[in-house]
Amino acid sequence: MNGRYNFNWPGWASFVFLLLLWELGARVAPGYRLYLPPISSVIGALGQLIISGAVGRHLLATLERFLAGYLIAAAIGVTLGILLGYFQPLHNLLGILIELLRPMPSVAIIPVAILTLGIGDSMIVAVTVYAGVWSILINTIDGVRHIESTLVDTGRTFGLSRSRILWQIILPGASPYIVTGLRIALSIALILVTTAEMIAGGKGMGFYILDEERSMNSANMYAGIVIVAALGYTLNRLFLALEGRVMKWRHGMMAREMA
Amino acid sequence: MRAQKISGLLFLVGLMLAWESASRADLMNPLIVPHLSRILGIFWDMLWSGAIPMQILLSMKRAAMGYLLAAVVFIPLGIVMGLSQGTYRALEVIVEMLRPVPPPVVIPVALLFFGLEDEMKVFVIFFSCAWPILLNTIDGVRNIDWVLLNTAKTFCLSRSQTIWRIILPAASPQIITGLRVSLPIMLILVVISEMVGSTDGIGYFILDAQRRFKVAQMYAGMFALAILGYALNQVFNLLHRRLLSWHWGMMKRDLE
Repeated sequence: MNGRYNFNWPGWASFVFLLLLWELGARVAPGYRLYLPPISSVIGALGQLIISGAVGRHLLATLERFLAGYLIAAAIGVTLGILLGYFQPLHNLLGILIELLRPMPSVAIIPVAILTLGIGDSMIVAVTVYAGVWSILINTIDGVRHIESTLVDTGRTFGLSRSRILWQIILPGASPYIVTGLRIALSIALILVTTAEMIAGGKGMGFYILDEERSMNSANMYAGIVIVAALGYTLNRLFLALEGRVMKWRHGMMAREMA
Repeated sequence: MRAQKISGLLFLVGLMLAWESASRADLMNPLIVPHLSRILGIFWDMLWSGAIPMQILLSMKRAAMGYLLAAVVFIPLGIVMGLSQGTYRALEVIVEMLRPVPPPVVIPVALLFFGLEDEMKVFVIFFSCAWPILLNTIDGVRNIDWVLLNTAKTFCLSRSQTIWRIILPAASPQIITGLRVSLPIMLILVVISEMVGSTDGIGYFILDAQRRFKVAQMYAGMFALAILGYALNQVFNLLHRRLLSWHWGMMKRDLE
């Protein structure tokens, strides 16, 4: 993280060394080709997949489902979180229900979703929404509760309307927590999309990777994993960049307080 | 506090009654949402017949093996990487390359190597629990007060003594955070890997029940999983408080 001027030579050297070891091992013991094809053939498969665009359909499907699920989860989680954080009676009512549902591993909802929605996009999106909501919801509730009540009271004193209190005090005040919840939900949503695609899906990266394994095309399988990892990495980077943008005011404020 | 809980409990009971009466009045498709009483009855039966405890035991065996293996490998590695900048730099790229891989995607690789055996699930859990444990341990070791390490040097503590008596205790709050974060990950991945490639275990049980349209069994299995998740969390919290009681005691003393 020291910037691009400080290139990590030993790190890349050991990474390349590992790849060479892999290549060498696969060539020395061709009997294990099925399990560990030479890295050169994985890279070849990756290049071919990208050039031919064979994987584009799957990647696009995964991305669409992910975005739909994640954005809906964010909308529900933040809205419900603000309501529950702000109105204590509502929290009293739903708190126990949340505590009961949350510890269940979210993937266990997949069979229910298949039952009600069949196998298709809507099932995968629904499952992603369910899994993503929890961390956003809990963090938003926490965030709203941690806002200093003097801030809200000051807003009231100045005669701010409810919606202005919401947009100008509560949402910014809770935003650091909300962002944390959104970041956790990002990786959870990706886990759920790929899982749901493996269990029930005719396309998508999860389906593709498992399918290639079943048809013993292990080079394509590894290439698919590289693509999903790149997707995960890109989404994470994108999130951090957006976070830096959106939360800039806060870092500015913190710096001023310190000074 | 009491009164707050009561309204929530009443709401929950109301919800359950509404479910029961709606399904009795045929307002809901029994193939999708069976009677709540039936689900609970089946759960009760399967609890005492041993069907559910057996599936859970199978899953937990796999989960525990993967989790403990990850702890045994990645806590020491994290300590080494936290102490030696050279090792950290040498392994950083590999870790950063592997970390963004969504864990379920590793299942096909594990299937290739291990088939449907237990090792498949153990490997998947090992892989997915690795990163929170490793990164938290590194952070914990790095944040150790240098005065502590220098004091250890002054008192001529051996290397192993320094690790066992100074570094491990000082980094333990963060190591435990890593272990706690990976606990739900462990549970999710044992369920996923059993859904994708297994012939038993609670994950397989739930998906299989759905495929055979034994819907009440499916819900009973989910109910069991929820209880399991809750219980795991509670047990961990209890251990956490026990293990780190010295830490909190010290923090309190510092504050005073």
